[in-house]
Amino acid sequence: MSYIEVNGLKKTFTVRKKREKGKLFRDRQTVEALKGISFSVEKGELVGYIGPNGAGKSTTVKILSGILTPDGGEATVGGRIPWRERTEYVRHIGVVFGQRSQLWWDVPIIDSFSLLKDIYRLSETDYRQRLGELKEALQLEEFMRTPLRLLSLGQRMRAELCGSLLHRPELLFLDEPTIGLDAVSKLALRDFLNWENRENGTTIMLTTHDMEDIAALCQRVMVLGHGQKLFDGRLPDLLEKFDTVRTANVRYEALPPELHLPEGADFTRKDNELNLTYSPSKLPTAALLSELQKAGTIREMTLQPENIDHLIAAMYKEMDL
Amino acid sequence: MRAYFSVFRMRLRMELQYRGAMIGGIACQMFFGIVLVALYRALYASKPQALPIESVTTYVWFQQSCFRMLISTDPDLMDKIRSGNISYDMCRPVNMYWFYYARIMAQKLMGSMMRGIPMLVMAFLLPRGWGVQFPDSPAGLILGLAALMMGLLCMCAIENITMGFTMRTLDPRGMQGLLSLLMITFSGNLLPLTLFPDSWQRVITVLPYAQLLDAPIRLYTGAYQPAEAARIILIQTIWTVVLILVGMWMWRANRKRMIVQGG
Repeated sequence: MSYIEVNGLKKTFTVRKKREKGKLFRDRQTVEALKGISFSVEKGELVGYIGPNGAGKSTTVKILSGILTPDGGEATVGGRIPWRERTEYVRHIGVVFGQRSQLWWDVPIIDSFSLLKDIYRLSETDYRQRLGELKEALQLEEFMRTPLRLLSLGQRMRAELCGSLLHRPELLFLDEPTIGLDAVSKLALRDFLNWENRENGTTIMLTTHDMEDIAALCQRVMVLGHGQKLFDGRLPDLLEKFDTVRTANVRYEALPPELHLPEGADFTRKDNELNLTYSPSKLPTAALLSELQKAGTIREMTLQPENIDHLIAAMYKEMDL
Repeated sequence: MRAYFSVFRMRLRMELQYRGAMIGGIACQMFFGIVLVALYRALYASKPQALPIESVTTYVWFQQSCFRMLISTDPDLMDKIRSGNISYDMCRPVNMYWFYYARIMAQKLMGSMMRGIPMLVMAFLLPRGWGVQFPDSPAGLILGLAALMMGLLCMCAIENITMGFTMRTLDPRGMQGLLSLLMITFSGNLLPLTLFPDSWQRVITVLPYAQLLDAPIRLYTGAYQPAEAARIILIQTIWTVVLILVGMWMWRANRKRMIVQGG
């Protein structure tokens, strides 16, 4: 049995609509946030969980962290049912909600940490050791005694991560942890998550809209849409499936005035430079390359997949999300 | 236990940071106290009542100094519920009811001590018939303090029920408005309960609200004899237990139907 086992998980919410004219009560409408999701995750995996807004990502995280009770289906994490044995279960997990805060606004973060120490009943030595480790990895030293309200968003997210990992959880849920962070903070955060996963074997489930997060962190990615699981596999496989367009830039020593390229490639020409877009499914890269070489001596060439965000947008469109 | 004690201590320390609010609170409550005392003195000057004026002014000052214990809601808790930050507290290996109970208690205790102790000291210095009188007997003082502690436990239970309602309605104002009205009236904050008609008093004095401050003050002033303390503390205990059970039940029911909105 896998570490996380989810089977046919369902959750519906009731939403009251705006009252219609002439009616006494508002109509209720049920929204199926999860329509029966199944997956399993092994210990030590780092899984990305993506999908457009409202796909059911956060709902899954909330159910698996014991906050919400599902309407149907089963889920166990390390043999425990999250919503049924909440108090015992949550001892073993850590959660970071990117848009919320667990630390106390008006007090130095070190005090919030020491409250967490008592909440999780950590021993003094254990706490000191772990805090030292995280302090270094997340570079918290300089603002340990600063109240949370004075920290920048990047510093705050680092502090939040530290708070969620103090009790050495087996499983860490991250709900959009890089939201609003600048490039440097994002990179530092990714490095840290990789480190935590490698050094401590922490299983990590990450929901995000930032595809760079997924590319940098996750061996595996699940795509969710309309409450259903649409894809589960490696990121390269996902990209290949929806990889419609690539771009290439080629600079020649010299180019003939007339240039013909095979079907499936579009190009714009500027002096001795070509900017190409093509779809690998119609025109294999190897075939294109040999054609390009026939045209002249290539001085320099770059080949790149289209921006990953565009790919995902194309994918959502194709899956009708 | 460590977690609950720790959150209690943390909230105490946080309350200490709000010294500006403390000074404002003292000024406001002192003003109300003096106005009320002047009002009762004017009333007594035209038509003396059975209850001595010293008892009434003592009553007023205790009510004013413990105002914060009666009517105050932890804005952070409300905010957590409204914003959904409560999610984090739900992922902790603690009992939510007691976790919040400890926070509420710290806020009420520290908030009212910071304001109440300086106020009572000042009120002691006021001339006789304006300020606080000495306790009726040493036993009255001790039993009054004990009853006040029981009252605090009861108040925190009431407050946690308000929190339970807030989790349902998301906007605390309606329920809070209603509950504070009951609180102000039946706890004796508006008018000392001893001045209500006797027939009313028979009902009012067994309601939970009368156990919070009215009963402790009456033990202090000697309106209740020390011999009656056992009965009073029994009523307080019963209400505290009942209200805690109601609150726990509400929290448990809320957990099952709870929805955390937004991302």
